[in-house]
Amino acid sequence: MDAGTLTDIVGPSGSGKTTLLLALARLLGDVSGELTLDGADASGLDPRVWRTRVAYLPQRASLVSGTVGDNLTLPWLLKVRAGQSPPAMADLRQALDGVGLDDIALDRDVSRLSVGQAARIALLRTILTGPDVLLLDEPDASLDDASAAQVARMTTDFVDRGGAVVRVRHARTDAGADRRYRLDDGRLTELTERD
Amino acid sequence: MTEATGVVAIGWPQLALASGFIIAVGAITLVLHLGVAKDLAIATLRTYAQLLALGFVLRWVFRTNTPLLVVAILCVMLLAATRIVLRRSPDAPPGLFGSTLLSMAITGITITFVVTGLVVGVDPWWRAQYVIPIGGMIIGNSMSGIALALERVFADLDSRSDEVLALTALGATPWEAARASVRTALRAGLIPGINTLAAVGIVFIPGMMAGQVLAGVDPLVAAPYQIVVMMMVAAADVLGSVCAVLLSYGRRFTSDGVYLEKGHRA
Repeated sequence: MDAGTLTDIVGPSGSGKTTLLLALARLLGDVSGELTLDGADASGLDPRVWRTRVAYLPQRASLVSGTVGDNLTLPWLLKVRAGQSPPAMADLRQALDGVGLDDIALDRDVSRLSVGQAARIALLRTILTGPDVLLLDEPDASLDDASAAQVARMTTDFVDRGGAVVRVRHARTDAGADRRYRLDDGRLTELTERD
Repeated sequence: MTEATGVVAIGWPQLALASGFIIAVGAITLVLHLGVAKDLAIATLRTYAQLLALGFVLRWVFRTNTPLLVVAILCVMLLAATRIVLRRSPDAPPGLFGSTLLSMAITGITITFVVTGLVVGVDPWWRAQYVIPIGGMIIGNSMSGIALALERVFADLDSRSDEVLALTALGATPWEAARASVRTALRAGLIPGINTLAAVGIVFIPGMMAGQVLAGVDPLVAAPYQIVVMMMVAAADVLGSVCAVLLSYGRRFTSDGVYLEKGHRA
C-alpha cells in the first residue's frame, strides 16, 4: 500500500476481511508472515507503537462512557503517547465542525449520540492521532446516507493529506478507490475497471 | 447438663430431639412429593458426620498444638477454598489456580497471624485453638468476595470486548484496556462485605459472637472479638480480590497485548 492511496477490499461475509485488517494492525495473535512499514520490519517495533501508526477502526464504533471531549482526548491518556499533548479544545471544536458535527457540543454525553454521529467521532478520534495507515472495517455499513457521505469525505481527506487507507466492505467498491481487491476463500484478487 | 465453663453441653438425646424436626420436614416433603427426601436425609447425615469428625480432629489438633500441624491445616483450607473460588468463576480462563491460591495465601495467612499475634496477642502466636478458627473464618468469608470479583472481571471484559478492542487499537496496554472492568469487578466484590459490616449486630448476630455468647462468654467480651474478625474478613476480602484480579486479568491478553475474544481462546 502506498502513501496517499485508498485501497478497497470486498468479499462475502466470513471471507476473512476483518481478520486481514486485524493482522495488519497486529491485533491478531498467532499469525505468521511478513509485515513492513516504510521498509521497517514490524517485529522491530513494539506492537502498541505499531498500532499508533497503523490504526484499526472496528466496525462497531466503541466510545467509552463520558463526553465527546473525553473520547476525543482519550488516546492521549494512554502510556504509548506519554509526553504528547492532546489537541486543544479549540482544535477539537474545529475538527468536529469540519465533519458536519457542528451541532455536537464537546461536553455532550456520548450516550446521547446517534449511530452515525458516534461513527464519525470514533473515526475522527483515530484520525486526530495522526496514523500513517488507516484500516477501516465496514466504516459505513450501518450508517444513514448523510453519515456515510461524511465518513467517505473524512477518508478521502485523510488520503489527500498523504495517509494510506485500507477499507473493507461487504460488497460495494468505490469509484474513488485507487486499488480494489476481492477476498474470497483467503485469496486476494485485484479487480480491474470492468469488475 | 452444665460443664465447669458454664457451657450447656448437648448430649445424644438432645441431638436426637433436634433431628426430630428434620424427620418432620422429611415427612412433609414425602407427603407433598417434593422429591428431595433422599437429598435431605443424606445432607443431614453429612452434617452429623462432618461436624462430629471436625470436633474429633480439632480436639486432637488443639491437644497436639504443633506449628507444623497448624500450617498443614491452613494449607488444606487454602487449597479447598481456591478450588471452590475457581468453580464459582466459570468465565475465568484456565490456569488461574496458582495466582488465586497465592492471593488467598498472602492475604489469609498474613491477616490471620496479625489477628492472633498482634490484635488478640495469643501466646504462642501460632496456637492452634486460635489460628485455625480465625484463619478458617477469614479464608472462608473472603472466598465469596474473591469468587465474585474474578467472575465479574472476566464477564465484564467479555461484555466490553468491543471497547477493549477499540482501546487496544488506539495503543492501550492490557491494563489500560481492562482497567474499567477491574474497577467494576473489585467494586462488585466489595459490596457484600460492606453490606455485612453495615448490617452486623442489627440484622443478625454473627456466628462467632453467637457461639461465644452461647458458650457463656460475656457479650462485651465477645463483641470486640467479633469486631476484629469482621474487620479482618473485610480486609481479606479487599486484599484477596485485588491480588486475585490483578494477577489474573492479563491472562485474557496475548503477549502482544491483544484481547482474546470468545472463539479465539485455547
